[in-house]
Amino acid sequence: MDDAVRSRNNVKVIGRGTRPMLFAHGFGCDQNMWRYITAAFENDYKLVLFDFVGSGKSDLAAYDAERYSSLEGYAQDVLDVCHALDLRDVIFVGHSVSGMVGVLAANQEPERFANLILIGPSPRYINDPPYVGGFERADIEGLLETMEKNYIGWANFLAPAIMKNPERPELGAELTESFCSTDPVIARNFAKATFFADNRPDLSAVRVPTLIMQCSDDMIAPLDVGDYLRDTIAGSTLAVLAATGHCPHMSHPEETIRVMRAYLATQ
Amino acid sequence: MTDPGHGLDPLLDEAPCGFVSFVDDGTLRAINRTLRDILGYDENELAGKRVESLLAVGSRIFYQTHFFPLLRLHGRVDEVFLLLQTKHGDDIAVLANAARRERNGEWLTSCVVIQLVERRKFEDALLAAKRLAEEARASADMHRHDVEKANEMLELQAMELEVSHQQLLEQATELERQRLIADEANQAKSSFLAMMSHELRTPLNAIGGYVQLLEMGVHGPVNEAQLDALGRVTRSQRHLLRLINNILNLARIEAGHVDYDLRVLFLRDIMQATLPMIEPQLAARRLQYRSNVPAELSVLADREKVEQILLNLLSNASKFTPADGIVSVEAAMDPLNGDRVLLAVKDTGVGIANDQLENVFAPFVQVDVSPTKRAEGTGLGLAISRDLARGMGGDLWAASEVGAGSTFTLALPRA
Repeated sequence: MDDAVRSRNNVKVIGRGTRPMLFAHGFGCDQNMWRYITAAFENDYKLVLFDFVGSGKSDLAAYDAERYSSLEGYAQDVLDVCHALDLRDVIFVGHSVSGMVGVLAANQEPERFANLILIGPSPRYINDPPYVGGFERADIEGLLETMEKNYIGWANFLAPAIMKNPERPELGAELTESFCSTDPVIARNFAKATFFADNRPDLSAVRVPTLIMQCSDDMIAPLDVGDYLRDTIAGSTLAVLAATGHCPHMSHPEETIRVMRAYLATQ
Repeated sequence: MTDPGHGLDPLLDEAPCGFVSFVDDGTLRAINRTLRDILGYDENELAGKRVESLLAVGSRIFYQTHFFPLLRLHGRVDEVFLLLQTKHGDDIAVLANAARRERNGEWLTSCVVIQLVERRKFEDALLAAKRLAEEARASADMHRHDVEKANEMLELQAMELEVSHQQLLEQATELERQRLIADEANQAKSSFLAMMSHELRTPLNAIGGYVQLLEMGVHGPVNEAQLDALGRVTRSQRHLLRLINNILNLARIEAGHVDYDLRVLFLRDIMQATLPMIEPQLAARRLQYRSNVPAELSVLADREKVEQILLNLLSNASKFTPADGIVSVEAAMDPLNGDRVLLAVKDTGVGIANDQLENVFAPFVQVDVSPTKRAEGTGLGLAISRDLARGMGGDLWAASEVGAGSTFTLALPRA
């Protein structure tokens, strides 16, 4: 079982510390996205990286459309990894949708988690006045269309054709890696599970000390969302970064590391 | 913040493709005139804006979740479909190539976009076809699933039917076995009755003969009281003999030992021959007799058997009709079946209740006409008559109303 989860979720463990810091990537990418900040924590922590089933180099055969049709399925991946590696006192770091995945996992097994560090989280992306999520349903349909247009050209049509050219195998590998989620059906389901979710009711149950890292200008998680999260998660801390955009750990790794360290020092 | 259009090489500014450069947080550094024109912006309008502001909302999310991470991780992005958004809110489909490089101490992404107009139509058509194919496959899968389910059900039903079939076969075998047993029992009964009747008839005939000798005084003079007693013995002997004869007849009919001598018979002839035999009985009960039998009506039947039936019917009619009643005989072609002739014997007697009508044809049954009075007879006459009628290809049935009399109808094949 332990080895099965390790290979299913492409689990990687690095670092020289003992306290586990578990990194969960967001929608559209894989564990590679953490590469600009992990070095800063390697000396002090045991860093656990993984890919959700259906993303990166996870085992696509383990994909179950029903399980992963909601974020609970992804939260189960997090717990499966925790169980397989017997992780305790976990500092969970989740980007974007993985913020809510972490919340769901921590609500199920609060004793397992020491802290939640949520980068650009949002409990609901679609506006529900007076709640501001930042998007309308049609915007998400637009995303699905853009995804479809891109996956049709890449993974779905070209990659398999190129993969069949044994004289140039590197082409297929390069193309399929360039989009983190290679299967268009899986990517579409992940997008729906992410952007049509409403996890506001789960926030009040959070008992784990939580850091909310909010970018100063993030169109995916607007400032209102950060305020909402701070007000709803008891005992949470909101840090508004100078960084803009949605991926501060990639665009502004230094500030991201600094804020994380400062928070962990207070814990 | 400098104007993003400022300082571009004129060649790039006017190139037949859009060009835009920006830093990691998305802030625009340069945008060429071609792209500004496509998007409807003036030269200074985009100062300080971020690259996401040039994208339709769905593509902004895609930029953040796919485009930027890819750019950051791999340093370049090729052939990505994006929807740009013009100043006026219209969508423009483009294909984008981008590369991220360090220049003058900062990381700068250069991005070229080419408008997709005709190609987008092909792609849309391709996608629509792909979607249709997927739907068709899903529908086919669903149908296959339905068919498989239906098939499973049919197989289950087939199994159940097979079981029922087996059970029916077993029942049929059992019924056949029981029928054979019943047939054997019936044969045994008929043989027994025939034998017993014969064994009983011989001593009864002896009783009759010796009584007659006594009455004639062959064995010495007989006084009045003795004669009266001998008369009673004779009547009882005759009754028993009649009963035994009837039983023997019925047994013979049921055992299939009766031969029918079928000939063309005129019903009026038969009536005329039968009437004298019944007239004393009719007169004794002061009954009126009426007859309407057309001379031309002929049947194909055994004369002796038809006479026997008619005698039985007329005898019953006179027996169950009170004094001054009417007994009538009518014959006609069957209005419903041109191959049959019907002969009806009607009386104005006590009648028979509907639920008893069929019972009168059962052997040894005599329908109660009154609790205190039982008509004499063996109870076999009608059973024998019906068997004989059917044996000749005809039938016998009854209709009646309590208090209004009965009608017994004999059907026979026309000649």
